[in-house]
Amino acid sequence: MEPASAGRPQSGFAPTEYEAVGIDKSFSSHAALSDVSVTFLPGEIHTLVGENGAGKSTLLRVMSGIYTRDGGSLRLGGRDLGNLTPRSAQQLGIYLVPQEPTLMGPLSALENLFLGILPRGRLPFTVDWKRMRETAGGYFAQLGLDIDPAQTASTLSIAQQQQLECARALVHQCNVIFFDEPTSSLTGPETEILLDLMRRLRERSFTLGFISHRLDEVFEISDRITVLRDAKIVAEFLPEQVTRTELVAAMVGKEIAKRHRRQRDLSGAETVLEVSGLSASRAFSEISFSVRRGEVLGLAGLVGSGRTEIAESIFGVRSATGSVVLDGKPFGRRSPAAAIQAGLIYLPEDRGHHGVFANVELERNITAAVVPALPRVGPLLRPAAENEIAAKAAERTHVVAASLQTPIKSLSGGNQQRAMFSRWLLAEPRVAIFDEPTRGVDVGAKADIYRIIDSISDGGIAIVIISSELEELVVLCDRVIAIYEGRVVSEVAGDEITLERLGSMIVGEGAR
Amino acid sequence: MTGISPSLGPTPAGPASDRQRVSASRRLLRQREPLLVVLTLAVFLVTFAVNSGFGTSGNISFLLADAMPLAILAVGQTIVCIVRGIDLSVASILGVAAVSTGFLAQDHNASVWLMLPLALAIGTCLGLVNGLFVVFARIPPIIVTLGTLIVYQGIQLLICGSQTVVTVPTSYITLGNRNLFSDIPYMLVPGLVVTVVMAIVLRRTSWGRSLYAVGSNADAAFRAGIRVNAVLVSAYTVCGMLAGLGGLAFLVHYDSANGQSGIETNIQLWSIAAALIGGTTLTGGKGGVVGSFIAALFLEVTIEAVIVLGVPQVWDSAAVGILLLAAILADRYQTSGISLRQALAGPFHRGPQFGHEHGTGRRR
Repeated sequence: MEPASAGRPQSGFAPTEYEAVGIDKSFSSHAALSDVSVTFLPGEIHTLVGENGAGKSTLLRVMSGIYTRDGGSLRLGGRDLGNLTPRSAQQLGIYLVPQEPTLMGPLSALENLFLGILPRGRLPFTVDWKRMRETAGGYFAQLGLDIDPAQTASTLSIAQQQQLECARALVHQCNVIFFDEPTSSLTGPETEILLDLMRRLRERSFTLGFISHRLDEVFEISDRITVLRDAKIVAEFLPEQVTRTELVAAMVGKEIAKRHRRQRDLSGAETVLEVSGLSASRAFSEISFSVRRGEVLGLAGLVGSGRTEIAESIFGVRSATGSVVLDGKPFGRRSPAAAIQAGLIYLPEDRGHHGVFANVELERNITAAVVPALPRVGPLLRPAAENEIAAKAAERTHVVAASLQTPIKSLSGGNQQRAMFSRWLLAEPRVAIFDEPTRGVDVGAKADIYRIIDSISDGGIAIVIISSELEELVVLCDRVIAIYEGRVVSEVAGDEITLERLGSMIVGEGAR
Repeated sequence: MTGISPSLGPTPAGPASDRQRVSASRRLLRQREPLLVVLTLAVFLVTFAVNSGFGTSGNISFLLADAMPLAILAVGQTIVCIVRGIDLSVASILGVAAVSTGFLAQDHNASVWLMLPLALAIGTCLGLVNGLFVVFARIPPIIVTLGTLIVYQGIQLLICGSQTVVTVPTSYITLGNRNLFSDIPYMLVPGLVVTVVMAIVLRRTSWGRSLYAVGSNADAAFRAGIRVNAVLVSAYTVCGMLAGLGGLAFLVHYDSANGQSGIETNIQLWSIAAALIGGTTLTGGKGGVVGSFIAALFLEVTIEAVIVLGVPQVWDSAAVGILLLAAILADRYQTSGISLRQALAGPFHRGPQFGHEHGTGRRR
C-alpha cells in the first residue's frame, strides 16, 4: 500500500458531486429501494429522513459499495461508476461512517486511522510510526478532535470512535462522507460536537450525507432534506420551506390504515399489569403505564428508544429498578421463569437469537416454555400426549410444516413466528408482550398474527405490542404510548390513533 | 420419537421450503446409530476373515469389557457437548477416582460396593467444580477443563506419591475381566445401564429437554423460563460423576492404577471423538448417548483390528483421527442442505455460518 499522503496528494482535493440515478435494490423478494434518484452536492449537508425500514441506510450502503445495486447508476463528479465495493468506494473518496463504529477494538486509534495504508518505514517490513503520529495530529487538529492516538480503540467512547471514523475518512483522502444515524447513540453534548465537526467539513466543501430521526438536529444542520418511504423517495425539501408537521406527514404517508378494531369499553376491566417508575441506567427512566384485561396497548418508538429494553426488564431478562404489579401482586424477583409462572410472557423481537431452537424439532420448540407442566408418568414425559398438545397448539396458529418432528429451522419465517406464538399461547398468559410480532413474516402470516392478537385480547388477555410499523399499531391497539429516548412522552387512545399522530409522537413531538 | 406427523393447519400445502426433501444418502447418515453398528460389524468381520482369532468368544468379551471405561466417559462427554460445552478434565477425574478407590482396595481390602459411591462422589465433586467455573467465572469450558485437567492430574499424583496400585482383591478382577454369562462380561452392565438410563433421561425428562434447549440457544432457553445456569452446572456435574464411575471401571478392568492412569492414553480426547462420531456436535443442541456408546465400541474394535491386521501400531491413532474427521463431514453434509462438495469446501464457501459461544442468559 502507498502511504496516505503519497496516494492522493492533499492538493488533489476537489469538491465532488455524487449522484444516484434510478437505484433499485431488493432483499429476496422485498424491495428496499425502488427507482431512487438523489444528488449529494459538495458543501452541503443532505439529510435523509423516513421511518424505520424506509430505505435510508440501504441507500447509503449502496452508494458506499457495501450493498450491490440491482439496477440504476451512480455518478461521481459526472463519471459513471461501475461495480462498487467498499474498497473501491474508499479509493474513489467515498466513506460511510456507520451507525455502530466498526473500528478494530484491540488496535490503537492511530493504527485504526491508517488501517490498510500504513506508511512504510525505511527498513523493509517496518512502519513509519513517526510519520503516522504527525499526520494524525494534523487531522485531529483540523477537525478539533481530542483523542490520544495511542489509546486502544475499544476504550474510546462511542462519540470518540465516530470522530475517529471521520478522521479516517480524511486520512483516506475521501471527500464524500456519509453518516448513518450517527447521533442515535450519543448524548446531547456529544451530538453537538459531532454536528460541529460536520459543519467544519461542510465549510471545506465536503459532500455530506446524513441520516437522523431527531427532527431538531435535522432542521438545525440540513441544507437539504430528502424523505424516503417504502423504498421510494417521496419528497425533497429545503429546510426553510417545510414545517415539522409537513415533514412528518411526508414520512408516514397518507392515512391508509383503517382502524378495524371496534371501540370497546374497557373502563370496567381490571388492571392486570401495572408498571411504575421502571428505570435502568442509560436505557430508560421512570417508565409508568398499566394495561387492563382485554386491552391492547401499543408501545411506539424508534429503534433504540428503549422500548425493547423496557419489555425485557418487565419480563426479567434485564435488571431494572421500579415496580411491576401483576394481577395486584407485586412481581419482585423478576426472571423469565418467574414471569411465565405468574402468567406474563414475552415474544422477543429477535426470533433467531432469542426465540427459536434452530436445530430442535418443531414440537419441542412449541412446548419449550411449558415442559414442567406437560403430562407424564412418574418423572417421564409422555411423548404421545406431548405430541397431541403441540399439534393442537400448532393448529391454533396455523403452523404449516411437513411434520412436528422437522427441525424448526427448515420452516419459513412466517411459520417460525406462528410456532413462537403457539409456544407462548400454550403458557396460558394473563399478560402478553409481543415485540415486533410480524417482523420478517409474509403477508399471510401477518394476517394470521393480527387475527390471533384480536382473538386472544377478546378472550381477556392483556396485550402489549411493540412495533416499528406504525400501521400495525393503528390497526391493532386500543391505546398507544410513545417512548422517546427512554421516556414515555405521549399517549393516545381510540380514534385518535392515526399514522400522522404516531409519526410525530415517536420523534418526541406531540407531547401534551 | 413418536413419528406421528399430523397434517397441520387448514392450508393443505405449505411453501416448498417448508417441506423436507431428503436424499437417500442423507437419510442414511441421519440414522447414525444403525450406521455405526453396521460399520462396527463390518470392521469386525473383515478382521475376522483375515485372522480368525479375532472372533473367539474370549476376544469378543475382551473387546466389550475393554471399551467400557471409554464408553462411560463418552456418555458423560455427550451430555456436556449437548449443552455446547466440552470437558477435557474427564481423564484426570477418571484417574483420581481410580487411584483413590484403588489404594483403598489394595491397602484396606475395601469392598467394591463401597467404592462405587465413593467413585461417583469424587467425580460429582470434581465435575461440579468445572460447572461452577464455566458458569460463574464465565470462562470458556475448553479453558476451564484444560485447567482442571492439569489440577486434577496433580491431585492424582499427590494421592499416589511414589506408590502405584498393583494388586486388587479378586472380586475386582472378577468384575473387570469375567463374564456374567456366555460372552457377556460384567463390565458391560454398568456401561449399558448408564447408556440406557441417560438415553431415557435425555428424551423424557425436563432436565434432558433443558440440555438440548440450552445447547441449541442459551438466550432463547433463558427466555423460555429454563434455568440456564443450573442446567449448565448440572451437565458438567453429571459428566464428572460418570468420569468417576469410569475410573472405577478402569480399576477393575486393568487391576491397576497409577499417577498417569487416564491421561497417558489421552482418554479425554477419545471420549470427545466417540461423542462426535456418535452424532453429537460441539455446536450444541444435538446428539444422544446411544450413538456415543456404539461409537466407543466402534473405536475399540477399529484399534484392535489395526493391531490384529498387522498395521504398525502408530497408525491406530491416525485411524481414529480419520474416522473423526469423516464423521464431522458426514454431519455437515447431513444437517445442512448443502452438497457433499460444499461440505468439503468448508465454512467460508457460502455454507451456513457457525454459531457463537453460548451466553449464560441474563444481560446487564
